[in-house]
Amino acid sequence: MSTVTSERTGSPACATASLGNYRFADLPDPSKWADCVHCGMCLESCPTYEQTGEEQHSPRGRVHLMKSVGEGKLDLTPDLLDPIFTCLDCRACTTACPADVDVGGLIEQVRGQLRQAVPLTGWKALVNDFFLKGIFPHPSRLDWLGRLLKLYQQSGLQTVARKTGMLRVMPDHLAEMEAILPKVGTPVRKKYRNEPLIKAKGETKRTVAILTGCIMDVMFSDINEATIRVLTRNGNDVVIVSDQTCCGALHVHAGDRETGRKLAKQNIEAFQGVDHVIVNAAGCGAMLKEYPELFRHDPEWHEKAEQFAAKVEDVSKFLYDTGFKVPKAELNVRLTYHDACHLAHGQGIRKEPRAVIESIPGVEMVAMPNADRCCGSAGIYNLTHPDMAQAVLESKMQNVPQDVELISMGNPGCMLQMALGVMKHGRNQKIVHTVQLLDWAYQKEEGKDVRI
Amino acid sequence: MRKRPIATNDPHIRALARIVGEEAILYRKEDLIAYDCDGFTVHRHLPKAVVFPNSTEEVAAVVKYCHEHELPFLARGAGTGLSGGAIPLNGEVIISLTRMKRLLHVDLENRRAVVEPGFVNLKLTNSVAHRGYYYAPDPSSQYCCTIGGNVAENAGGAHCLKYGVTTNHILGLEIVLPDGEVIEIGGNGVPDPPGYDLLGLLTGSEGTLGIVTKITVRLLKNPEAKQTVLAYFDEVEDASQTVSDIISAGIVPAALEMMDQTAIEAVEAAAFPVGHPKDIAALLLIEVDGISAGIGEQIDDILTICRRHHVREVKVAESEEERARWWANRKTGFGAMGAISPDYLVQDGVIPRSRLPEVLREIANISRKYGLRIANIFHAGDGNLHPLVLFDASQPGETERALAAGSECLKACAAVGGSITGEHGVGLEKKEEMRFIFSDEEILAQTAIRDVFNPKNLLNAGKLFPTPGRCVETKQVSSTVK
Repeated sequence: MSTVTSERTGSPACATASLGNYRFADLPDPSKWADCVHCGMCLESCPTYEQTGEEQHSPRGRVHLMKSVGEGKLDLTPDLLDPIFTCLDCRACTTACPADVDVGGLIEQVRGQLRQAVPLTGWKALVNDFFLKGIFPHPSRLDWLGRLLKLYQQSGLQTVARKTGMLRVMPDHLAEMEAILPKVGTPVRKKYRNEPLIKAKGETKRTVAILTGCIMDVMFSDINEATIRVLTRNGNDVVIVSDQTCCGALHVHAGDRETGRKLAKQNIEAFQGVDHVIVNAAGCGAMLKEYPELFRHDPEWHEKAEQFAAKVEDVSKFLYDTGFKVPKAELNVRLTYHDACHLAHGQGIRKEPRAVIESIPGVEMVAMPNADRCCGSAGIYNLTHPDMAQAVLESKMQNVPQDVELISMGNPGCMLQMALGVMKHGRNQKIVHTVQLLDWAYQKEEGKDVRI
Repeated sequence: MRKRPIATNDPHIRALARIVGEEAILYRKEDLIAYDCDGFTVHRHLPKAVVFPNSTEEVAAVVKYCHEHELPFLARGAGTGLSGGAIPLNGEVIISLTRMKRLLHVDLENRRAVVEPGFVNLKLTNSVAHRGYYYAPDPSSQYCCTIGGNVAENAGGAHCLKYGVTTNHILGLEIVLPDGEVIEIGGNGVPDPPGYDLLGLLTGSEGTLGIVTKITVRLLKNPEAKQTVLAYFDEVEDASQTVSDIISAGIVPAALEMMDQTAIEAVEAAAFPVGHPKDIAALLLIEVDGISAGIGEQIDDILTICRRHHVREVKVAESEEERARWWANRKTGFGAMGAISPDYLVQDGVIPRSRLPEVLREIANISRKYGLRIANIFHAGDGNLHPLVLFDASQPGETERALAAGSECLKACAAVGGSITGEHGVGLEKKEEMRFIFSDEEILAQTAIRDVFNPKNLLNAGKLFPTPGRCVETKQVSSTVK
């Protein structure tokens, strides 16, 4: 590694080392950009480069800019926000890169610097603080949000709002999101509050904990339920650890690494007593596995984070690796599979979910071209960058086969975004999570009436 | 595309924005830095602006504006060039062709296709593969490089040994001349049209004669059969001799690639490893294709020749998947250098095949002399060497040493009757080395051709030819005055 880290002279007692024009604590890792030789093999993998054709919106260009700041040639200015924050953090470039350059990790580190140099202001700051700091890290407030949504959906207000055109006061992309909101159920964290351990069906082979997630548990508690059923069906006692919290991915993507670290510490401690942390949201799983990155400058927590990360596993891979029971009932359905970025590129998990799906009798898998291309969801990117997210989604939808009934995937953000794509294109595919398919097959095997 | 209101009073920027639209121009330093180099990273210069025209008309309008206002300008595709052809040496307005990326027409009956310059090389093959056709020139950067850039550099690739380089596959071009005039040459697909071979002149002119805006290319039918061999050698000389003997045996492989030990170390440390043994001195990747009959015999002959030269291990790819893995490993070889070195500089010398062993020895000497590692990944079949000089630009003096080592590699190639570039172009990088193979008069003869197309020399100035020496300068002045 070549770049020189120098102490700033004459700075206060709590002097932070600086690196070129990076001057806040938690400096970016220069070895990440040193691996890039500017070959350009990443260009075509990048959805934002595909849309713009602009080098500063390509992985190679972004690395070049981030390196330039580290070399003191560029400053952390507001004009840098566009190239750095327009990245979807989809990690497709990491898959494409011959030298394994961790562009996504670098982007997150630099966002941490940039957000401190150029803080959010005005309504953006308010919305950001309200959701990222005020809601997501607090399970009880999330429950309230869930209840409000449920009330909105069940009281008839949603129907009224949709019929009267009240929603037109919202920006288009928010109104569209409203239209694809799933039906809100009861969060499993709440449901199993008094039953922290759900016994395996039959012999217990091991005990696992699940990450219930923040949005996941509010919007997709049915998927959490399905996850629990599938895990217990395969000989796992399931623990719902009560102190767990939001994984912090949205915060880290947004450059708020401090909150990210706070949440990481809480989760690391909360899951201390378990050997397996099973995750059904690809974005969260990737974040948990990358906790050590957050503690690069804190040896004690770095080690704890390493130990924690080793326990984290995506549900599809865990089932595949531990030899899940192949269901006997037939589902008789044609479907396709979309690789969530943080599963395929972030965690290298591609074959396992496909194997799980294809093991189900009667399932016909139709391959999706460019299945591992981002759908534009990217956490809350579709809210912060609606135009680009929309363009990326358009491109994705061109590749979704017409003649399938279901689109399966392993990440809640993608599920919402793909549902939006299906709606906007007047398609009729249903969006499902991989574990839901397995759950349905098991239920059918038990003679239950399953309607997909 | 998002609107970006123009926040500058620079009249040129405002005028260019009126031509291409506010969403199609970059001029802030934070954006421009990404354009200060291409795949050749040693020299860096900021452009004045980058524009993204969407049509030939817009390219022509931008060019006309630059011509009238004496603004230097140049064209850029994906920016993967390895000789610095797209570096804005004079603070050029960069005309980026990445948004002109349409596949305009496919005519399988006449085996041709028309593409815009920003269309990515591999996408052409992917677009016609299901109908049994492909586009032959396959530079290793084909995943991302543009066909416009391929035309500018007359790009080669692994399979050019049998099928020829880009110029052999170009049937017609639409070109914006440096004054903004749009002309078409070739295009109807009639082979060998009468008159001067302007297609040949334009292809490989490295963006100094005009800007290509439409390209008619030849498509080939997929070969009926294809077999790929991987051979490991303990001695570089054995591998070199194998290359020579395969060609002299009358076999024309589709590709015949070599990698040496340092190169193998890099690709194995990188993202697409194959599991090559690390202690071998060299490997050969050999592919034959054509009609099914006879392929087996060719493979047998190749295996026999490898064994005659003490091959340690040799195998034939058993599946398309295995073949694809071998090629991904080879084709990402340059980028893989990042896994073992912060920077690299790739050279592109060509030599007669028979001189391979001695030139490789000389390159090893140069490596020792400069104290820099040199990896070799190259198209051995046509004697097109790619010594990759590994260095660390942050170490004082190392960049200069790397440049000197690279230059000396080219001198070694020229000394055995070879050339300084096979497919990467001269660009900014090798312009001084042009003197190794051309006299001042020969260079002047070529710049005279450039002056016919590009009299103001606003288009990509300072590339391809060395800065003239004193006597040449005088001659040039007198010819201009006349």
